[in-house]
Amino acid sequence: MSALENAVGLSKEQVIEKIKASGLQEYGLCRETLTRRFENALKECREEEKEPGVVAALNNADTSGVLLEILRSEPEKVMEGISIAAYVAGADKKVLHIPEYEAQLFETVKPAAEKYGIEVVTGLVNIRESKGCVLLHLVTAAQLAEVFLDTYEKGIYVSVNGGNLQKAACSTKISDLADMGEAKAIQAGYRYYLPEQGEMTVEEARIDNGVLNILSEKECVVCETEKQLAASRKQSCGKCVFCREGLLQLHHMQKEITEGRGKMEFIDLTKEIGEAMTISTPCTMGQESSKTALWAVELFEEEYKSHIKKKNCPAGVCSSFVNIYINPSACEGCGECADICPKDCIEGKPKYIHMIDDFDCDKCGKCIDACDAGAIIRTTGKVPKLPNRLTKVGKFKKH
Amino acid sequence: MAVITIDGKTLDVPENKNVLECALEAGIYIPHLCHHKDLSPLGSCRMCVVEVEGEDQVTTACTLKARDGLRIHTKTPEVERLRMLALELLLTGHPEDCSTCPKYGNCELQMLIQYIGPKTGRLKMRTKGFRPKEENPLILHDMNRCVLCGRCVRACNELRGVKVLNYQKKEMETYVGTLHDKLLKDADCRFCGACVEVCPTGTIRDKVLNQEVKKEDAVVPCRYACPAHTDIPRYIRHVKNGEYDEAAAVIREKVPFPNALGHICTHTCELECKRKEVNEAMSIRDIKRYAAEHDTGSLWKGKGKQLPDTGKKVCVAGGGPAGLTAAYYLRKQGHAVTIKEALPTPGGMMAYGIPSYRLPREIIADEVKVIEDQGVQIEVNAKVEKPEELLKEYDAVLMAIGGHKGVRLPMEGSGLNGVIINTDFLRAVSLGNETGLGKKVIVLGGGNVAFDCARTAKRLGAEEIHLACLEARDAMTADDEEIEQAQEEGIFVHPAQTFERITGTDHVTGVDFMNVKSFTFDENRRAIIEKEEGSEHHIDADTVIFAVGQRPDITEEAGLELGRGNSIKVNDMEQDKATSVPGIFAAGDAIYGTKSVIMAIESGREAASQIDRYLGGDGDISEILAPVKKPEPYIGQCPGFGYAQRKQPAIDPPEDRGSHFGPFDHGICESDICAEAGRCLQCDLRLQISRPSLWGDFAESKEV
Repeated sequence: MSALENAVGLSKEQVIEKIKASGLQEYGLCRETLTRRFENALKECREEEKEPGVVAALNNADTSGVLLEILRSEPEKVMEGISIAAYVAGADKKVLHIPEYEAQLFETVKPAAEKYGIEVVTGLVNIRESKGCVLLHLVTAAQLAEVFLDTYEKGIYVSVNGGNLQKAACSTKISDLADMGEAKAIQAGYRYYLPEQGEMTVEEARIDNGVLNILSEKECVVCETEKQLAASRKQSCGKCVFCREGLLQLHHMQKEITEGRGKMEFIDLTKEIGEAMTISTPCTMGQESSKTALWAVELFEEEYKSHIKKKNCPAGVCSSFVNIYINPSACEGCGECADICPKDCIEGKPKYIHMIDDFDCDKCGKCIDACDAGAIIRTTGKVPKLPNRLTKVGKFKKH
Repeated sequence: MAVITIDGKTLDVPENKNVLECALEAGIYIPHLCHHKDLSPLGSCRMCVVEVEGEDQVTTACTLKARDGLRIHTKTPEVERLRMLALELLLTGHPEDCSTCPKYGNCELQMLIQYIGPKTGRLKMRTKGFRPKEENPLILHDMNRCVLCGRCVRACNELRGVKVLNYQKKEMETYVGTLHDKLLKDADCRFCGACVEVCPTGTIRDKVLNQEVKKEDAVVPCRYACPAHTDIPRYIRHVKNGEYDEAAAVIREKVPFPNALGHICTHTCELECKRKEVNEAMSIRDIKRYAAEHDTGSLWKGKGKQLPDTGKKVCVAGGGPAGLTAAYYLRKQGHAVTIKEALPTPGGMMAYGIPSYRLPREIIADEVKVIEDQGVQIEVNAKVEKPEELLKEYDAVLMAIGGHKGVRLPMEGSGLNGVIINTDFLRAVSLGNETGLGKKVIVLGGGNVAFDCARTAKRLGAEEIHLACLEARDAMTADDEEIEQAQEEGIFVHPAQTFERITGTDHVTGVDFMNVKSFTFDENRRAIIEKEEGSEHHIDADTVIFAVGQRPDITEEAGLELGRGNSIKVNDMEQDKATSVPGIFAAGDAIYGTKSVIMAIESGREAASQIDRYLGGDGDISEILAPVKKPEPYIGQCPGFGYAQRKQPAIDPPEDRGSHFGPFDHGICESDICAEAGRCLQCDLRLQISRPSLWGDFAESKEV
């Protein structure tokens, strides 16, 4: 017997009882007990005089797509969950949203969706249009099916540093899952933590999108935040002022900081806009996406200040603060570096000391790996005196 | 009902009513931008944020529903801070300089900026870099000015159901447009203009809009262009629905000759029809004709306005469209009206100028009968020579004598035998009298009357017919269809000719012409004609018809002051149609020269209103005959709408129509009429849309 068959064999009241007994909660950002979620949706449905429906998706704010693995591996389970929810809600309308960046998943899940009469669409959930629908996280749908297969166990799905998705018991500590040795920061869900918070459980840490990354000293928090905001901007539907324009401003400021044009005001402005965003939009896209920036400026203010005031990226990641030069006393004039340079910005000829043209160099670092003599140096500090014209190997005088 | 408190002011409002609307209706201004009274609440702009007592977070008033005991505050520091920030963010993607915007001074966003006064200079400003879209007809999109309030999207989708506009996203910029950026016409836009109407900024604008007239006139140009302001979109809608009685009643609210107009109206409405910008103008005249021909009269026969008798008597001199119209409405105002018509039947130029192949005489008779049934007395063969004498018997007199005296140009040979005059000729034909027409005819003139003469000559059996005029082809005053149909019938049209002389010693032998090189008017409206040297040429003929204008058949002996072109002088063409003699009014062609039936009708209506006032009435001749109902704003989708072609009337081929006086244009057929009426853009629907509430309208809440 499938989960759905088990469920429809019961009356609606019995199904609700069973869900209540399981303690099943909505997964992801909007945690609440599933039975309450049903009640609220049906109440809204009556108020708005709309047909009930079930909409399953990732949280709108989710730009990682890590949890889609559950849909990919067991599509029928998700469809069964949706169908059980529709049975409870008395809904004919069943919709599954998959994010635009994973649109190829459409073909994979289509057969299963058709089997259960579920419409599959790509893109974000329109919260306003979905009023009166039961909104379910994909994982909730899968778990709902598990409840009726009597296989449900509470847990948190986590992908550590981009590894395979695993299910962890709620009481698992972050430090049980990841090596905290070199850690500078913990990126869990939509937030950052300090390494000493590694003793938190995965449940407390709100790993709502399945992402757990441990950032080391070699990774720049500003740069990571900038990337995350860029992804959110790309994903936002852009209908609400705060989400659209707020993300743009946040992203702009973080980018300016990574490129050495940051201003101290940006820290306060990031807080002001970020905090306003969390309460000024109807869906998680706007509510959550600014949190990355808020936690980053809160916990890593020193790193921000270093970028802005000292014009230095402590992790050596932000390329504006990095210099690459060829040590004139170590260069053997082999020309390997010039051959590999994608920008063609290394000048030299055999047996002459090679020179990098700073103007064109984008600091990709390919030359560093190509140099057998180890003469090419990447530094965030000062660059020594270098030759200003072609000089034979060994002929360069430092003074 | 629910009792709510807004900023300490207690209001009694319906349960669940939108709180923003409650506030606005109670005279409490809450700033708003994405909200529009006629559209569903969105809550995206965050201008209307308010604090609700007992709730931690601010919320938008537009999405808040009234419930008993709800207490909100619209001006707390937190609310004002968030509102300012929202506007500050909103403006980062909007051009900074208002003064170059066509919406300057009229822009809801600009007014919000003035009201809220957001911080400036803190945030990154950007130019969105969209190319303004000017390639669509009627509607212009400049997405650089868009603040994504989404009103247009809701108007297009919810209010109209056309579903053309939606949010789109390109790279990182969200904008409003059609799917795949298709042209509006290709996306099946219905060009209703709702998007333009609701846009608070200068983003979606009218491409062409007459700024000099009232908005309702500019938005519905056909109705404004019609001299009688017939409610064209309204009757077209009825025809679309197959409600011909309703349609005819709408027409009858303004004109007493729907069927005659349906055949011969000069349709200035069609020239202004906005649909012509999309592909071809609506066939308004033929729609009117269809309605009139299928009208059973159930809504107006015996049902219009008829005020009790006043005991006043009015005499109308002239039973043409102006006189008949004036008489009809004067009778409805309760006056006893007698028409004195010089000719044997009423109708005026409709019966004695316009040939019967264009306007069958039964139609005139039927429509005149309605006027007689209303109680108007008509005396025929009763020419009024001395209008002043009529005042002994009547309380007022209206001179609506038309222009029945054709003009004979004072040129060499104009007195020869075989030279005839347009009005005499057409009248003789209508009366069945001898015309003196020969076999080879030259008509001099390029207006509709000239073509009536030429085509009548054709039907009388003339073998060779030429028509020559001074104007170049594109400046000829005749309707294009008239010129084309005449040419189809084998009439030779010679534009840009000077009439040098009519040749012949006793009887006409032809006309000498020269080609016109240029024809302009100087500042005194005098013609300046430059002839082409050595272009003199001759066309043989035995008959010459002058069709170069006509004037009122009246002299100073009638006792009225006359003006330019022998017209009867009135104080003001529109506002005051009183003549030099108190109690005598004038209307129609007699005051402004030959124009059109519809102009004459309007002039007659206006005269009726003025005479009614003169006789002590209120001058209000308006009447409502068709049931007034709010047209359906949800017009829905219509694939291929923009490309739907104008339906053509059924017209007999030239070989079948040139030899008799029966009608040859049978109008639009039954199977096409609904489709033709369905092509209407329904420009008037836009006037239903509510006006935005601006803070300037809320005097008390103005902050000094």
